[in-house]
Amino acid sequence: MSEQGSLSALLPLIFFMAVMVGISIFVRHKQAGKNFVGSYFIGNRELGGFVLAMTTVATYSSVSSFVGGPGMAYQVGFGWIYMAVVQVTAIFLVLGIFGKRVALLARKFNAVTVVDIIRERFKSDFLAAISAFVIVLFFCGTMTAQFVGGAKLFSAVTGYSYETGLILFGLVVVIYTSIGGFRAVALTDTCCALIMMAGIVLLLKYVLDAGGGYENIMLTIEKNNPEMLEPFSFGNMPWTIYFTQWLLVGICTIALPQSVVRGISYKDTHGLHDAMLIGTVVVGFMNIGINFTGILAHGVLPGSPADYGGVDNIIPTTIVTVMPKELVGLAIIGPLAASISTISGLLIVASSAIVKDVYLHYKEKNSQPVETSKLRILSMMTTAVIGGTVFIIALTPPSLIWLINMFAFGGLETAFFWTLLLGLFWKGANKFGAQLSMVGGTIIYCATQAAGFKILNLHQITIGITCSLILFLIGSYFGKKSDEETLNKFFG
Amino acid sequence: MKKFLTDAEKFSLVRREAIFTGLALVGLIIFWLIAGFGTSSLDVKIFHLPLWAFLGSIGVWIFAILISFILSKKLFKNIDLGGEKNE
Repeated sequence: MSEQGSLSALLPLIFFMAVMVGISIFVRHKQAGKNFVGSYFIGNRELGGFVLAMTTVATYSSVSSFVGGPGMAYQVGFGWIYMAVVQVTAIFLVLGIFGKRVALLARKFNAVTVVDIIRERFKSDFLAAISAFVIVLFFCGTMTAQFVGGAKLFSAVTGYSYETGLILFGLVVVIYTSIGGFRAVALTDTCCALIMMAGIVLLLKYVLDAGGGYENIMLTIEKNNPEMLEPFSFGNMPWTIYFTQWLLVGICTIALPQSVVRGISYKDTHGLHDAMLIGTVVVGFMNIGINFTGILAHGVLPGSPADYGGVDNIIPTTIVTVMPKELVGLAIIGPLAASISTISGLLIVASSAIVKDVYLHYKEKNSQPVETSKLRILSMMTTAVIGGTVFIIALTPPSLIWLINMFAFGGLETAFFWTLLLGLFWKGANKFGAQLSMVGGTIIYCATQAAGFKILNLHQITIGITCSLILFLIGSYFGKKSDEETLNKFFG
Repeated sequence: MKKFLTDAEKFSLVRREAIFTGLALVGLIIFWLIAGFGTSSLDVKIFHLPLWAFLGSIGVWIFAILISFILSKKLFKNIDLGGEKNE
């Protein structure tokens, strides 16, 4: 590994990560004496509206939103923003549909995870175990993509090696998540979201300055790249991409366990309502802001994406080109914050899937109480081991990492969309339907991905989500109905 | 804060709010289609942007904020979520 970067590019990130660790230690100290499982995995249901909004947005917005996305906007034009803006639905949908539903149920059953609620609804340990397995498996894929994306960006912008970046932000995020748990994740996510927004504004300012102003850049685009001002971008943006994105990053995101679990974590409905509004403002600002910046980068990078090493290099190259050297270190924090906030959010849910949904449930079922001190160490160790494993995988990054990221996104949605939506809002949903949908849908989705099979050239999420619905309905028709006691608990 | 006596009343309210949210999504999709594709043939510019690009990005965002405001501040009700905190 060669180290050619300057210390000024490193210091802001070191300071930022030190603050994250400090927050985590502070939270750990404040949570002392409270119910461990409730505080470590769900922050003791104390989140207010602002923090709830920020942690939901920050976990949802990944490093690809800040690197790959705007790179594509640079290539395709305003059609990309038109497509990406569908993500403004993500926050009000998940909180509006599931926010109160899971909050009420979680308090009723003392649930701290989404799997707890699934287990209670369908009375199935098998379904709970499959849910936990799917969560850990797909989360590891997504986290690896975040590690790799962040470290590559770090290396491209600062001049330091990929491994240095991975250690500096990757290892630290594992440490602070392990120490502080969900509450620390929520607070650090809030810092990350604020930094992301500041980073967008900072980069936009320097891009506009370097490109000779907004008007000049737009006139250049109009003259040199007229396809960027057309919604289908002269064939670069087919309707299938728009349709797929509505499903993949819009509607189906309501069932992502990392988003739904936030419905368990807030204090009261005032906070939930505030979060719906704040979250929608923030997610729109981020999406439009960073992708617009990607397009305006034409003012400073006049070539094609290939001239700069592909779409993933557009934002790193733009940062290096337009930012003063002393501010490069600051500019990199925004995209890295997107990466670490997603990692921490996934890490704590993956950890809860193993500790709470599998281990603790097994112990409780066999009437074997677990001491709090043992549980504390086990939880922290589990979080650290999962994070450490993904860290090691990221040290030798697999190829096609972005495809793995999207694959994982679609897999989670296929597995959980109908199980949660129909399970929580339809009395007719039953155990067999949910099992058939989750197992069958996920297998079909993975198989079509592996075979590269598509219908009408649409992303395999369309096949996965359709098959999982059909299987759910078939299973619910033929399977045994849920018992009256369960239905009374869930539907009153 | 509205007081509900039974779980059934709370669940009914939550179900109604979920339906409102679903309808809001349908409204947003329709707005998105009209704002972008629907105006793409018009030769009108706002801030050097084609009308479809402006309405299909900033316009959709503002519409989503408006929807979130109506949902969260007008249609949704505050309720007691019940349960004990894990002190």
